Amino acid sequence: MILELKNICKSFHQPRSGKIEVLNQINFSLGAGETTAVTGQSGSGKTTLLSLIAGLDNPDTGQILLQGEDLCSMTEDRLSRYRAMKIGIIFQQFHLMPHLSARENISLPLEILKQQHIPDRVDDMLTSIGLQDRQHHLPGQLSGGECQRVAIARALIIKPALLLADEPTGNLDIKTGEKITRLLFDLVEKENKTLILVTHNPDLASQCRTTLKLKQGRLKQDNPAQNNPARENPA
Amino acid sequence: MLWIRLGLKELIKNRGFALFFILNLTLGLAGFIAIHSFGRSLNHHLDDNLKNILTADLVVSSNSALEQKDLGLINTALGTKNRQARLISFYTMVRAGQNARLIRVMAIDNAYPLYGKFSLEKGSAIESIQKAPGVFMTRDTAYVLGLRKKADKNFPIELGSKTFYIADFFGDDPDTSLTAVELAPKIYMGIDQLSGTGLIQFGSQIRYSRYFRFEPDADVPVLANTLRQKFAKAFPGQKRVNIYDSRDVNRSLDRLTGYFTGYMGLVSVVTLFLAGIATAYLFRGYLNLKQQEMAVLMSIGAKHREIWLYLSIQLIVLGLIASILSIIVSLALVPAFPIIFQGLIPDQINLTTDPATIILALGLGTIGSMIFCLPVFVRLFAIKPLMLLRGTSASIKRNTQQSVRLIASIIPGLAAFLLISIFAAGSMKNGIIFVAGFAIALAFLSLIGWLLLSACRRISRTRIIVAKIAFRNLFRNKWASLSCFVTIAMGAFLISLIPQVQQGLQNEIIRPEGLKIPIFFLVDIQDEQKAPFIEFMQNQQGELANLSPMIRGRITTKNQQPFRKKIQQSDDRPRRREGHRLEFNFSYRKDLDVSETIVQGDPLSTTPWNFESNRPFEISVEQSFAERYNIQIDDFLGFEIQGLPFEGQVKNLRKIRWNSFQPNFFLLFQDGVLNDAPKTFLAAISNVPLSKRQDLKNRIVDVFPNVSVIDVTQMAGTLLGITNKLSLSIRFMAWLAIAAGLTSIFSIARHEAWKNENQINLLKILGSKFSEIQAITLLEFGFVGFTSALFAILLSYAFSWAVSWYFFDSLWQINLTLSLLILFLTTAICMLTALTASRKVMKSKPIRLLENTN
Repeated sequence: MILELKNICKSFHQPRSGKIEVLNQINFSLGAGETTAVTGQSGSGKTTLLSLIAGLDNPDTGQILLQGEDLCSMTEDRLSRYRAMKIGIIFQQFHLMPHLSARENISLPLEILKQQHIPDRVDDMLTSIGLQDRQHHLPGQLSGGECQRVAIARALIIKPALLLADEPTGNLDIKTGEKITRLLFDLVEKENKTLILVTHNPDLASQCRTTLKLKQGRLKQDNPAQNNPARENPA
Repeated sequence: MLWIRLGLKELIKNRGFALFFILNLTLGLAGFIAIHSFGRSLNHHLDDNLKNILTADLVVSSNSALEQKDLGLINTALGTKNRQARLISFYTMVRAGQNARLIRVMAIDNAYPLYGKFSLEKGSAIESIQKAPGVFMTRDTAYVLGLRKKADKNFPIELGSKTFYIADFFGDDPDTSLTAVELAPKIYMGIDQLSGTGLIQFGSQIRYSRYFRFEPDADVPVLANTLRQKFAKAFPGQKRVNIYDSRDVNRSLDRLTGYFTGYMGLVSVVTLFLAGIATAYLFRGYLNLKQQEMAVLMSIGAKHREIWLYLSIQLIVLGLIASILSIIVSLALVPAFPIIFQGLIPDQINLTTDPATIILALGLGTIGSMIFCLPVFVRLFAIKPLMLLRGTSASIKRNTQQSVRLIASIIPGLAAFLLISIFAAGSMKNGIIFVAGFAIALAFLSLIGWLLLSACRRISRTRIIVAKIAFRNLFRNKWASLSCFVTIAMGAFLISLIPQVQQGLQNEIIRPEGLKIPIFFLVDIQDEQKAPFIEFMQNQQGELANLSPMIRGRITTKNQQPFRKKIQQSDDRPRRREGHRLEFNFSYRKDLDVSETIVQGDPLSTTPWNFESNRPFEISVEQSFAERYNIQIDDFLGFEIQGLPFEGQVKNLRKIRWNSFQPNFFLLFQDGVLNDAPKTFLAAISNVPLSKRQDLKNRIVDVFPNVSVIDVTQMAGTLLGITNKLSLSIRFMAWLAIAAGLTSIFSIARHEAWKNENQINLLKILGSKFSEIQAITLLEFGFVGFTSALFAILLSYAFSWAVSWYFFDSLWQINLTLSLLILFLTTAICMLTALTASRKVMKSKPIRLLENTN
């Protein structure tokens, strides 16, 4: 098992509305190579769930186990390194370092983690995303689609156990979005990665084996007939 | 290496920020480093030349010629392995042609000077002025005496009743100490030629000095102490001689130079502080822009401490560049100081920027930047990768822990500021007073700024769209606006304060309120010359006033306790021990002068004191003197005058306005006590037309050659010259502070303009004209400039009033023209700077709004 969420609850305090329960008793698990889409209306808690799985926030209660290690019990520094080695994140806004070239952006996680054979690995990745000829361009000189390709490459270069994507095509036009989706799923399949994808887009969600829908803080399998069943255990 | 590489790349990418950061810090550091460098060069020079300045290892001096018993003590304490030289010095009038002038006679023997040597144009030997009545002087002194041609050698000059000739001119001024603070220029003559001049008479203020040079291995401080102890033992309760070595000279010179460098150093600290505010603000803006990138770095594995490292490297590099630039700028500034302080400091000073100064500059630039930006650094803790998903910024959330961190992060900055101030002022007390004054000014201006910006909310409720947006920007960006307000206000405060104080000082020197400044001040009128002098003055144009008797004597006891012992007990500063004297000048007068006021006690009795009565006579003591020696009303003081013991009781305390240049004394006795004692007289002459002054001076010298005439107007001019020089340099530092302030306005305006880029573009899309958008910026920064200058000027009035009241004792005056000029200029400069800074953003196309939204 790659990822297990056990009894996850998360609420926020708002000055006027008081306590708002965003996630309530979330339980699910994912095995290696599985792809899952998380959908739901705006404000349903998709991003909150993603941030908990990424170890960017802590749940009020429950456990998040990544390859058997509890993220919630780690110190911030350890979590930071663990996350960097095990989880790749793709953002809607790309979030590339603006003063680094495409190549440097891709190699950055490897440099931070002091990995070996960086140039070769970056070359391979640049070939995979088809940006060899644009490798020395800065993000400002790349199109939105190219930026997102670089962001995907940056997330995958560390060979993470889990790949998280937050609306990866949300900032792209339909055609470019499709290309990026194809690239993402090809790479995930090729590398046999576990993917959780948060999206509003039903077409994108349908590319995943499973689709989970967040509604009123609870997670439900959506359209199970079409997708392969995930190991979803609603409380 | 990764973080260094990333940090440097980041700086190259953000050249605008880097440039302003460096410019700000360079401006702030340059003045400070220049002052420090100058101060150290001056100190090095003094340290290296102490023996040359003193011309000996040790000097013993006295107001009367050393007697056999004194010489015996000296020989016992100092041994015979030394070389000796003699000097008799005093002030007197010299007559050269049609000019008479006060000079200081240095009558020397052949052995003088024991260190260094005279450099004379014709290479004359000292023996030449022993055998014949000749003098040596500098060309400058000759010029002052009216001898303006090269051929003036052998020109006759009259000293007392004897005619001397100029034997030679000094190539280099032998006086390596601080010359401009001397009352008169020096001329050197042979000690053997003193006889026949008639200048040494009873009561003449003459200094007899004996100079000693020891073997190189001699322990001079120990020898000096031994000699002091021997004199103290042989003459208990009397301070018969002054004994000083190079350490004492060093201390007094240090004090004097400390005033120059200390005050200017403090102004430079203000500049540094203002630059610090601006750089911290710039860094804050930079960090705000970079939050997202840091969150990205954290999301891909960077730890908090690596982010710290990444930012610290950027700060260190910027600080380093600013330090190097400030050293270069200071190298250009430092040579200006000897020009500004010409005459106040030694001429041959070697100006260098020593390694310690370079280390200080680098330390301030790098570690100083880090400390000043620490409160901004604390914000790093609030940056979490979560914001990349949620789109929130660190500034929105600040929990209690972060608030505590923020407050704690300010403490090192304040501590560093205090330390730098103490360091710059050269004294703990002055440094603390300065920081306290600065903190009061800062707190006042911050409070006013805060209230004004809060009031902007109310002002923004208007229908005029330009005012509405401008004032709304001000209160919504309260911290940014407040930084701008405080920075400008502090600069304007300094610029306004300095001339304000200077004017008080100037007024006090030139025309003190209610006092008539005399033209000449006369010293050493002998008792028998009193009547002829009064008669002489009746036939001259001029008014003789305050002919005051002066009697020299010792204070032996206070309330039956030895006076000296009492002083030592109350004195906790051993370095000032030498400043306490036992010998003083006393006087008596029936009516107080207009420059004197009784502040405590009753006037002295007008009935002459009777020797036969067993009652003590009445004494009037000057207020500051009483404070220094802890003398109270009704205290009994014992005196020894001409070998006779007397006892008096303090009847009142007087305040004297010394700047009246009238003959005044620390102690006035009841009439009848000193009337028959041998005395000399002091006097003042006023109401002499300008064209007749030199003539009158010449006549006095002709008729009364032993009387010294001090030209008060000339002296006031010298004092004013010194204050002008000081205030010029302080004003320069203040302008540097304003320049730092302006750079910060520019940085802040630029940053705000970029921050408001979307608002500006939105206004354009909604139909606002370019002129309206321009008006918003002008109103916003014009308001900040005007109000900050206004309150800074008002605060400077309060401070200058306090300074005038405390130091000058004078009426306080407002320089309204200058204040209006500062108000106008500050407002205009603020508006112009902000307009220039935001012009690029204002001219950007509204399409940027769409680009930014995407």
